[in-house]
Amino acid sequence: MKGFLDYVPGNSFLHKLNPLTKLVLSLMICVACFISENHLLLVAIILLNLAIAKAAGILPRGLMLLKGLTKISLVIFLLQLLFIRGGDILITLPLNLLITERGVAMAFVIVFRLIGATMPLALMLSITQMNDLSNVLVTKLKIPYKYAFTLTTAMRFIPIFANEMSGIIEAQASRGVELDTRNIFKKIKFVLPLCVPLLITSVKKIEGSAISAEIRGFHLRTRESCYKGYPIKKSDVGVMFFSAFLVFSAIIVSGA
Amino acid sequence: MIRIENLTFKYRNSKKNALENIDLSIEDGDFIGIIGKSGAGKSTLTYVINGIIPHHYQGDYYGSVKIDGDDTFDKTPSELSLKIGSVLQDIDSQMVSSVVEDEILYGLENFSIPKDEVEPRLSSSLKELGISSLRYRTIDSLSGGQKQKVAIAAILALRPKMLLLDEPTSELDPKSSVQIFQLLRDLNKKHGITIIVVEQKIMLLSEFAEKLVVMSEGKIVFNGKVRDVMKHSSELERIGINCPRVVTLSNRLIDRGVDIGKVCINLDEAEAMARGLIHG
Ligand SMILES: Nc1ncnc2c1ncn2[C@@H]1O[C@H](COP(=O)(O)OP(=O)(O)O)[C@@H](O)[C@H]1O
Ligand SMILES: [Mg+2]
Repeated sequence: MKGFLDYVPGNSFLHKLNPLTKLVLSLMICVACFISENHLLLVAIILLNLAIAKAAGILPRGLMLLKGLTKISLVIFLLQLLFIRGGDILITLPLNLLITERGVAMAFVIVFRLIGATMPLALMLSITQMNDLSNVLVTKLKIPYKYAFTLTTAMRFIPIFANEMSGIIEAQASRGVELDTRNIFKKIKFVLPLCVPLLITSVKKIEGSAISAEIRGFHLRTRESCYKGYPIKKSDVGVMFFSAFLVFSAIIVSGA
Repeated sequence: MIRIENLTFKYRNSKKNALENIDLSIEDGDFIGIIGKSGAGKSTLTYVINGIIPHHYQGDYYGSVKIDGDDTFDKTPSELSLKIGSVLQDIDSQMVSSVVEDEILYGLENFSIPKDEVEPRLSSSLKELGISSLRYRTIDSLSGGQKQKVAIAAILALRPKMLLLDEPTSELDPKSSVQIFQLLRDLNKKHGITIIVVEQKIMLLSEFAEKLVVMSEGKIVFNGKVRDVMKHSSELERIGINCPRVVTLSNRLIDRGVDIGKVCINLDEAEAMARGLIHG
């Protein structure tokens, strides 16, 4: 999961969109995922996510995300498969476990949803600078700067956190600690104690960022302070309409 | 002008005082170097000047710190930052943006610098540190030394009347370190900016600073003109500060009664002294 959220510079159509538009697009994709129970539509949304990644020049990251999420989904898929019951019984397993028609259908829906709804947020964060995001939150959505700063600082630290995490895991692995075990509980047992010092350094770092902001006039900032303008362009309007259309089609399809 | 009077500070959750009975006056236009072993309290001293203490780190605080007559208790660090630009020791956590340009913009925006003045300030501060080419780079992609320059540029753009830098050359190679100090000297001489710099490399301080504050275990043990402080090279050695060779050499000559006039604090002076001894 190394480097899955940090900003990837670029000049694509998507990079140039207003941060607000990117936020709306990714949120609407999420909404569409949650409204729809239609397999085809959900798969289409996942493909749309990949198309977005491609257009932004970050297809490798898109695929990496897809792969990572698919792995996580496998566990969820199995659980759903066994616990959701309804419709015809397809297979009867020992221990009174059943695999039903509805179980299969819903397991796919939930997994597709998870993938389809997680990707757009990660992709959006990869092509949006946190400063720009916090600036539009403040200027366009009138969120107090304090909260916007906290939110964006926390997001900025996620990739740093992840990088350090994998650094520690590599260091442990090179010392012969078996972390590549398939057993997920064993893995958690190894990783958890490593998380604590990491958490402490991360909190320290966020604190450092807050101090640094403070001694650079954080409290003097007003809504008008923002230097860059963030105009809503035609392309932004277009993408917003597209987002609305997406949600609309999800409603239509699931209503039908 | 900074007045620190009888200041003692202990961090909360800490057993011993980080600063003890500090008295220090810094006049406008000074160029002061602060030196001392790790843990001596140098960074803490910078915190009490820029208001991080008491506003961010709490603890037992006795005494007073006044900036141009205002007690730091009564001003937020943001308000103090209008006068004092600080570059912190931990460069990584200091960055608030993901791209260099935004990092410089950040303070300018907060200070509500007029829009038509922003671009000239941005480009000139990048240029002064020789990092114009890094303007659109992401911070992640920079080396430690480059980040250090970005951090300094971000503060320079704000044009404070006092600059407070905590080990600004720790990640830099010797050549860049000298360049930074040359820049500081320029700012000090040409624009009268007060410079307060924590620095481990005593060579740089003896070359560029006018005054030296030596710290050990939370106390100021020496404070004065660089040359006067350097007279105490053996005491300095005892608290873990190794003076430049020329200083120890000339101190030894003075101790043995050789008349060389004054302590030499840089190579040029040492050369002059040697010539004087040979010819005289
Ligand atoms: N946030 C903190 N909380 C508690 N103790 C601290 C903190 N920061 C520094 N100290 C302690 O204060 C003393 C002085 O530290 P510092 O000012 O960072 O020294 P220096 O910058 O000279 O290396 C050290 O003993 C250090 O452990
Ligand atoms: Mg320090």
